[in-house]
Amino acid sequence: MKYYPTIGIECHVQLCTKTKLFSEVDNDARGKEPNSCVSPVDYALPGMLPRLNKEAVRFCILAGKAMNCEINEFSRFDRKHYFYPDSPKGYQITQFYQPIIGPGYVELPSGIKVRINHAHLEGDAGKLTHFDTYSLVDLNRVDTPLIEIVSEPDIHSSKDAHDYCKELWRLMCYAGVTYGDLYNGNMRFDVNVSIAPEGSAELGTRAEVKNLNSFRSVERAVEYEISRQSKILDKGGRVIQETLGWNDATGVTTGQRSKEEAKDYRYMPEPDLPPIHLSFEFIKTEAAKLPLMPKDYREKFGGTIKEDILEILLDYPPLMLKLEQLEQSLLGHASARPVCLRQFASQGASVTGEPRSSSIVTSGRSQKALLLVANLFASVLLAEEKSAEYLNDLPTAAQLNDLAEMNEKKELSSTATKEVFLKMFDPQMKGKDAKTIAKELGVIQENDLGALEAIVDTVLAKPETQKAQEDFRNGEEKVIGFLVGQVMKESHGKANPSAVQEILRKKLSN
Amino acid sequence: MEVERETIMHLADLSNFSVSNTECESLKQDLGEILNYISQLDEIDVSDVEPTYQVFEMENVWRDDEILPQEATREELLALTKEQKDNQIKVPKVL
Repeated sequence: MKYYPTIGIECHVQLCTKTKLFSEVDNDARGKEPNSCVSPVDYALPGMLPRLNKEAVRFCILAGKAMNCEINEFSRFDRKHYFYPDSPKGYQITQFYQPIIGPGYVELPSGIKVRINHAHLEGDAGKLTHFDTYSLVDLNRVDTPLIEIVSEPDIHSSKDAHDYCKELWRLMCYAGVTYGDLYNGNMRFDVNVSIAPEGSAELGTRAEVKNLNSFRSVERAVEYEISRQSKILDKGGRVIQETLGWNDATGVTTGQRSKEEAKDYRYMPEPDLPPIHLSFEFIKTEAAKLPLMPKDYREKFGGTIKEDILEILLDYPPLMLKLEQLEQSLLGHASARPVCLRQFASQGASVTGEPRSSSIVTSGRSQKALLLVANLFASVLLAEEKSAEYLNDLPTAAQLNDLAEMNEKKELSSTATKEVFLKMFDPQMKGKDAKTIAKELGVIQENDLGALEAIVDTVLAKPETQKAQEDFRNGEEKVIGFLVGQVMKESHGKANPSAVQEILRKKLSN
Repeated sequence: MEVERETIMHLADLSNFSVSNTECESLKQDLGEILNYISQLDEIDVSDVEPTYQVFEMENVWRDDEILPQEATREELLALTKEQKDNQIKVPKVL
C-alpha cells in the first residue's frame, strides 16, 4: 500500500553566550577539562539560586525573528522533574507553559513552509560517560542555554526533513546565536515520524527518533522509519508509540531503554526565577539587530551568483558576510574589517545598520567582482584541505577587490588569479595586497602592446618558428596555438594569450 | 481521601526512593490526611482568577553576560561528591 508520511521535528540549539543560562561561569567548554566550567549553582548546592542571563533572552529574540516567530511579551520558567545523574538539581529548568518564542515559520529553499509551534529557553544537562561498572559525570554542559524549537508536523518526506534541519542550522548561525558545530552537538534533532494510508484523514501512530546530530542522519532515520512502519502496516500490524535511538553505523533505529516507566515530569512553576516581561520597544530594538538572513542574501546576490553556487556558499556564513562586505566596499561604503563567526551577529548588524538594505547591485564592475570572488570561494577555497581554518581568517574586502580588479584588467590570468587568491591565506603573505603578491609570484600578465610586439618579433625571427609561420600562411589554422605557446614561453608565461594571438594574426597576415 | 498503594510506589519510583511495606502504609495514611486538608481549597471558585506563580511581583531579574570568578574551586566542588575519578563525578552505572 502507498503511505503518506507526516513528520514533526524538535531541535535543540546550544546558544553561544559567554556565560551559562543561570550562573556566571564560562559557557564555552570546548577543549576544557571536565568539571572546570562549573559553579555551585550547577552543583545544585543548597541555597544556590539561578540568575538569568539577559544575553540568552536577547538571543531568543534574534532566533525567534529569524524563524518569523512572534516574541511573547510574557514568558516564565518551569521545573521538569526527573532523576538522572546528568542533572544534580533533579529537575531541568525549562519553559513548559509560557515559552518566550511563539508561532512562526521556516521557509525551505524549495519554497515549502514549515510552521513553528513555539520555541522555549531551557538549560542543558551534564554529560555522562559510561564504563563497565560505573559512569562518570562532567557538569561543564549543565545549564548551557538551549532553545528548543518545536515544528508543526508539516514535513512529508525525508528530503524535506533534511532541508528543514539544514535551514534551521543556517538561520541560527546567521542570527549569530550558536557556534553551529554539529559534530560537537551544538544542534540536536528529535524526529517524530508517522505514516498513514494515502488519502486517509487520520494520522498514524508516531515513533520518535531521538538525538540525531547531523542532517544526513535525520534523512536516513526518517527513511528507515517510513520503511519500517510501512512493513508493519502492510502485514496488518500496529505501530507502537515509542522512543527510538538511531545507530548511524548500522542505519537502524532501536527501542531505547525506558529511562522512566511512565513519563511524569510533574511540571511546576520555577519559584526561583521571576517571569520575563518584554516591552514592545525592547523586542523591536533587539529584533532590529538581526543580521542578514539567507533569504536576504538570496534576494541580494541571486541575480549575480548562480543559484547552485549561492546555495553552497550559504552554508558558510563567514563567506556570505565577506561578500556582503565586498559589495559594501564596491559601492563605496564603510571599509570592511575581518570578523570571525562568533562576531557575526554584531558585525552583521553594524555593517547593515537599520533599516537593513537589500540594495541590488547594478554596476557591471561590482557584479563581475562579486561573481569572481564567489566562484573563488566555491571552487578554490572550499576545495582546500584547510578550508575550515581559512574561513576564520579570510582576506579583507579590499584585498579581494584589488584581486578582482587585476583579473578584470587582464593583469592576471584565471590561473594566476587563483594562485594569488590562495597565497592570501599563506601566513608569509598575510595582509599583503593582491598586486604585491602577484609581483612576488611573478604572474602579472604583460598587456603592454609595445612590449608584447617586441616579444612576438623575437619569436617570429627564430628559425624554429619559420615552418609554422609558413604553414599558417598556407591556411593551417591550428598552428597558431604553437606560435602563441612559443610567445608565452618567451614571456615566461606573463603575456596575455589573447592579446598575443591578435598580434600574431596581424603580423602573419601582412 | 484514599491514596492508592500504586500511587505511593509510583511517587517513590519517580523520586528514586525505596519504600518498605510498613512505610507505604503510614505514607498512605499521612498523604491522605494532607490531601484532605488541602482539598478544603476546592470549595473556593477560582475559575476567574489568574494563577499566582510568585508573590513578589518581580520581573526581569537578569544579569549581564560576563564571566565572574567563582568562589568555589573545581577541587572544592568535586570534594563534595561521594566519589570522584579523573576529575569527574563517579556514579553507579546508569543506562
